[in-house]
Amino acid sequence: MQPVVELKNVTKEFHGIPALRDISFDLRPGEVHALLGENGAGKSTLTKIMAGVYEVTSGELIVNGARVSFKTPAEALRSGIAMVFQETSLVPSLTVAQNIYLGNEKFLNRLRGIYIAAQQFLQSLNFGVDPTMYVSQLGAAQKQMVEIARAVHHKARVIIFDEPTATLTPEEKHHFFALVKRLKRDGVSIIFISHALEEALSISDRITIMRDGQHVVTDDAKNFDRDKIITAMVGRTLSDELYGKAGDGHATRPYGRKMLSVQNLSMGRMVRNNSFSVYAGQITGIFGLIGSGRTETAKIISGVVKRDFFHGGEVKLEGRSVRYRVPRQAVRDGIVYVTEDRKIEGFFETKSIAENIYLNLLAADLNKSVVISYAEMMELAATWTKRLNVRAISNAARVVELSGGNQQKVVIARALVQQPKLVIFDEPTRGVDVGAIAELHHVINELADAGLAVVVISSYLPEILNLADRILVSRQGRVVEEFSADEATEEKIMYAAVH
Amino acid sequence: MSALVGSWLERFLGRGRAAVTVPPLDGALKPNNRLEDAPRGLVSHAPDNLVACDGAVLWSSGTRLFRAAAGAEPEPVATLDGVISALAVSPRGQIAVACDGKGISILARDGTVTDTGRSSGWPSACITAMTFVDEASLVVCVGSVQTALDAWQRDLMEHRRAGELWKLDLAARTAKRLAAGLGYPNGVVVAADQSLIVSEAWDVRLVRRAPDGRELAIVLDDLPGYPGRIAASARGGYWLTVFAPRSPLIEFVLREDDYRRAMLAEVPPAYWIAPALRSGVSFHEPMQGGALKQMGILKPWAPTLSYGLVIALDTNFVPLQSLHSRAGGKRHGITSAVDIDGRLWLTAKGGDEIVAIDRAAGEVR
Repeated sequence: MQPVVELKNVTKEFHGIPALRDISFDLRPGEVHALLGENGAGKSTLTKIMAGVYEVTSGELIVNGARVSFKTPAEALRSGIAMVFQETSLVPSLTVAQNIYLGNEKFLNRLRGIYIAAQQFLQSLNFGVDPTMYVSQLGAAQKQMVEIARAVHHKARVIIFDEPTATLTPEEKHHFFALVKRLKRDGVSIIFISHALEEALSISDRITIMRDGQHVVTDDAKNFDRDKIITAMVGRTLSDELYGKAGDGHATRPYGRKMLSVQNLSMGRMVRNNSFSVYAGQITGIFGLIGSGRTETAKIISGVVKRDFFHGGEVKLEGRSVRYRVPRQAVRDGIVYVTEDRKIEGFFETKSIAENIYLNLLAADLNKSVVISYAEMMELAATWTKRLNVRAISNAARVVELSGGNQQKVVIARALVQQPKLVIFDEPTRGVDVGAIAELHHVINELADAGLAVVVISSYLPEILNLADRILVSRQGRVVEEFSADEATEEKIMYAAVH
Repeated sequence: MSALVGSWLERFLGRGRAAVTVPPLDGALKPNNRLEDAPRGLVSHAPDNLVACDGAVLWSSGTRLFRAAAGAEPEPVATLDGVISALAVSPRGQIAVACDGKGISILARDGTVTDTGRSSGWPSACITAMTFVDEASLVVCVGSVQTALDAWQRDLMEHRRAGELWKLDLAARTAKRLAAGLGYPNGVVVAADQSLIVSEAWDVRLVRRAPDGRELAIVLDDLPGYPGRIAASARGGYWLTVFAPRSPLIEFVLREDDYRRAMLAEVPPAYWIAPALRSGVSFHEPMQGGALKQMGILKPWAPTLSYGLVIALDTNFVPLQSLHSRAGGKRHGITSAVDIDGRLWLTAKGGDEIVAIDRAAGEVR
């Protein structure tokens, strides 16, 4: 069977540093091909070559039997290859329908007609998105759905999904997998990049694993299991280290002094009379389904959003009632929030690693020199990239050029450089590969061991069970249950989260 | 003027001092039934202060003093001429007894009462807690110099800050007031560094004070209930009793001046919306019947005016664990705790019971 897309001995270099080395890859008609690897393994680079974002340094790209060299994504799209990017590439000031039809507009457009067509199209995909809404008003999951809809709308024969499910709810994921099966039935070939290994195992026909820009193995999905994939990805067995049983590997830390007391906090319908405490020297895990008000609560605490104007409740930091208008005030009091949406809120993507870290030092007023000091900036960056093991060509590299895991490390470095007393991690390992997850978990544990109060918000139960010393379960805008690490089980937590 | 505007704004917006919020019972204070489920204890009418003496426990009940050893029946030790409000035992076994309105007496080991401790100029009323610093020095908490001992709810509801801390020299028969204007000091213990740890109930906090009474630091604050007496624990920390709970309802009433004034003037104290040592005993209470129960089962959100809570603190006054008797329970109004020979003894004043919990049995670490 002739492959739809084939890469032969492809090498891709950036500034002389190879991102891909002698890679060969093929995609068969109508197959779902999972592409797995740690962040920085080269998956995105490989797929971006197919989608016309990058050109190969050496080697061949063959599409439908013909050697090609795409200069732009539009050329790739004309050849039937569409990519749903990890970073959403929608136009925020246009509506959902306009984004879907962008580039395919007729000479004379009737907006109402576009809306009706888009509505029917989105309904056929089971995506509950209003086509008349501006993209800037959408949440991360809805933006991802529009991205997917746009790719499907272009009637591509090859669709590349880069981390499509990271921001989707379980129900939306269900719809997405049904869509993938339908596309496959229609003969569309799909490349599926994901860090959710179970998804890759269940949905794909074949799996290719990459490591450090090189091909490791390609085989039928039925010949893999979770441990085999992880071993191939990182060269060691990480499964137990990452998500062993709760309490394994470290003893539960005792309660320290009360660092934060949230009392009857309210914000509209998202946070409703929420109360809980956070203690120093411990990791407090907060689990809940999407929409349970966890992120909003964290953002109120850290001054990103405001609570209700009237009777919004109280937040007490070390016994002192606080109410922040801007995050800067919270930072100066020692509260930092590590966002779940790192691409939008986590960093300045076109600035360098060093600049990003130094900017947060300036924001916290902790810089040693009165004027902006290049030497201090580079020294600071060197310290933190070493401590967090950020893998980059240099500290002058732009953050946008880093892999997801390394970007997350930069976001964490930006937070820790502000010398916090309380760190709130919101989905710290979302879209991060297993190797980087282990490193991030290590950093989080180190912070708690150093006496900081640490909050980890996560939707991934094994992560919460493995990391947290006490687990709070959030439902409908408030904490409804608390478990110690010893008594918590996945069943108990999930029961509290949904009942 | 700006303070007046600020206060009005806080009331209007429900912020700051006007925020009707109560710290959550979570972490080490996560509710459980360990106090309520503990084995049946000794029946005693309104037991109040409990101290350890010669391997047994002594406690006050009204005007009488009782003694009991583990496994033995309680026996009366003495009857005094006033309601006993506080007890203290010195390292060598002197027993100081405070009688409301009468002053402080020293009790011999055989139970005979001497008045040698009493002296003019010494505090005599509303003494809530005492502790010996050494054989000749006694630190005394006076809850309020303005209200009577049994009118502590009124003292809270009228926002009084009339508590005092005294140091008495039993040998020289002198007394020195260490601090005044306190929010109902209700417990005192001498810390390892010889500083005094005083529980100030209405300010829901524990304060570290120098031996001369200077405030050094707040060691624990924003408690979810009103703290009572503190006792050293055998494992090196402390036991803190919390005699009544805070709740949004009570906090709300505490902020509603007109309502509160009318309630104090017109309603009998037993039916006030105020913290209590026991509740749910009369259908005249403001909340009863369908407000609290549905199909005979207490609603999980039912507000309670009384609660049973004792907190284990480490040497730095960080809560480690707690024992609870929750809404609907009987062992409410815990006023005193003492840790002796592997057993934790507690007075449930609201439940008319002395509870002894075997720490070795794993119920309390």
